[in-house]
Amino acid sequence: MDSPKIPLDLILEKLAEDAEKAKERVSKASEVLQGRLDTRLATTPYEVVYEEDRVKLKHYFRNENAENKLKVPLLVVYALINRETMLDLQPDRSVVKTFLEGGVDLYMIDWGYPKRKDRFLTINDHVNGYMNNIVDFIRERHSIPKINLMGICMGGTFCVMYSALHPQKIKNLITTVTPSSFDTDKGLLHVWMRDIDVDRLIRTFGNIPGDLMNFGFLLLNPARLMIDKYVGFLENMDNKDFVENFVRMEKWIFDSPDVPGETFRQFVEDCYQKNLLIQSKMNLGGRRVDLKNLTMPLLNFYGAYDHLVPPEACNQLTKAVGSKDVEDICFETGHIGIYVSSKIQKQFAPKIVEWLKQRDEGDIPAAKRKAANPLPKRKSPVRSAKNIAGGKQKTIRKTKNGGKIEGR
Amino acid sequence: MADEDNQKPFGESAIFPWLESVAQLWLNMVKTVPPHSSTLLKAQNAVQERFSQQLDTNLNMLKSFSKMMKPPEEKSAAVNTAGALPEIFLKIAKSGFDVAMEIQRHLWEKAGKIGQRTEAYNFENLDQEIFKAFSDVYQNELQQYFKIPPLGLTRFYQERINELLDKHNIFETTLAEFLSILYLPMEKSFKVFQEKLKEMAEKGEIPAATKENYALWLKILEGHYMNLFKSADYTEALHRMLNHLEDFLIVRNEVIQDFLTMMPVVTHKDIEDLYKEFHLLKKRVKALEKRLGISPNALDQR
Repeated sequence: MDSPKIPLDLILEKLAEDAEKAKERVSKASEVLQGRLDTRLATTPYEVVYEEDRVKLKHYFRNENAENKLKVPLLVVYALINRETMLDLQPDRSVVKTFLEGGVDLYMIDWGYPKRKDRFLTINDHVNGYMNNIVDFIRERHSIPKINLMGICMGGTFCVMYSALHPQKIKNLITTVTPSSFDTDKGLLHVWMRDIDVDRLIRTFGNIPGDLMNFGFLLLNPARLMIDKYVGFLENMDNKDFVENFVRMEKWIFDSPDVPGETFRQFVEDCYQKNLLIQSKMNLGGRRVDLKNLTMPLLNFYGAYDHLVPPEACNQLTKAVGSKDVEDICFETGHIGIYVSSKIQKQFAPKIVEWLKQRDEGDIPAAKRKAANPLPKRKSPVRSAKNIAGGKQKTIRKTKNGGKIEGR
Repeated sequence: MADEDNQKPFGESAIFPWLESVAQLWLNMVKTVPPHSSTLLKAQNAVQERFSQQLDTNLNMLKSFSKMMKPPEEKSAAVNTAGALPEIFLKIAKSGFDVAMEIQRHLWEKAGKIGQRTEAYNFENLDQEIFKAFSDVYQNELQQYFKIPPLGLTRFYQERINELLDKHNIFETTLAEFLSILYLPMEKSFKVFQEKLKEMAEKGEIPAATKENYALWLKILEGHYMNLFKSADYTEALHRMLNHLEDFLIVRNEVIQDFLTMMPVVTHKDIEDLYKEFHLLKKRVKALEKRLGISPNALDQR
């Protein structure tokens, strides 16, 4: 039998050297791991201003004396999978903090932890029920006809549905890593979901257990998520900051609420299996979700290396909506990197603040609206797609007649 | 005759006189008890009387059986039947042993192919013969026992338990198959890594640092996993495993449900029905509240 000619002595020598380093690291790591670690998540102060069933609305405190305040509040809708705490993971990597510093009046939905009693809740109950009540609450609280809406992942899909059904209540829409077109083979999730027997799954589990979904997500890339990640931890476990951030991330990743059974069923059947949303054929509460009703400005973010929601699932939205003020931004990162990567952090949240400021002409309270002059219409509407990589921005602008202007 | 006795487990000469004498002994014993003694009359109740009569009847039956067995032809017929019993047991055992050997042969045959499975980075037409063999053996040789229709008052519960065992066995097999497929990239990545190292060593480019070697292996492993996950065989195995897990969990829940209904506790199904009613009622209340302009904000109502 052929034996490989590998200089084993060299490798073994290196291994011995590494073992020595590892010994030192372990002794330092034991001090770090046994010492006081700050692994708290979501530490930015907020108050709960609305509560309905398991759903809560968080309102963050901003500096009301700051000069850069935005007039129209922003409501952030997270997915039903994992928790909204991801946007405020750690003090130096907090989308929430950047928003507040940028003068955004920030509200965020906390979907809570669905119990078995919630298994019959549908997408309609979430979108036309909880979300609509919350939007009405904020509008009433600020005496304004419209608010800004931002959705994350599945929460973004909910926001698209909501904005199409209630366009009169939404001023600007921001979607981030939001699947809207599901007919793609690029993401494994899309391939696996296509043939899944969702009926049996719900009959078996009622709600879809968070742990089961997490196991599925780990299986999407076991080499990285089940091996390399922990090898990385072992290599850095003597670094207190690294350990704290790592544990925070672990806490967030495995804090997975169950997904209400009927909501999951509809999402899989109507979106993953029939791809109804992008075709404007989806029905919620007896009403058709027509994407042409999305006439408000739309900013759409996605990750080039997103293995959960691939670019192909996100980049069809801007073409399908009725709005003429749309922008696609593709970051060179993955699904979570958009929110937690320190490099992308410097671009993502500031871009949203800037974009909102440009469109914050001030919505006048409903009562005063009649007397005010109508807002000037935007001249020469553009559709643009930006690909942001390593600080360089490649912009593809599409004019109304479909011509492309490429530039940097 | 002595030789014949030795050959037969229930020797004609020994068993029947013994049976007769036992019957006679017990009959005499019963008869020694005064049937209506004055002391007993007061204490004995109808139940005791019934017992005594029943014993009498049974012993008479034993006696007539032993008498019936007196003629030589009846004796030998009975002895032959009794003698056939070990033979029947032996036949059953032999057939079971044959099945076990067949299973083992089948599995060894398939196991021999493990090392010759698919090429690196290729996960189409996976040779998972060993699991197919397990599953074939189970379906052909064992599953039938769980399908035997149970009889009697508890047949419904026996059927459920049999179904549970059956579904559990099938799930275990598909889980093993799925885990084995999941392990394939590991197996292949080590092989490819070794080849890659050999290739690099020949060129004198072998990475000295452990980390570089690890990164190289990880990249190979990741590539293998990506190819595996895109293969139709993997998707099929995943769905098969999930379907059998669901089958097993559904039956398991039904068995638990059966046990719970015997106890003074609320069952899962009761709660589920209640939740549904509660959900529908809540929807109606919310619609009414909206019509009346009552805020759904629970904080306002505190």
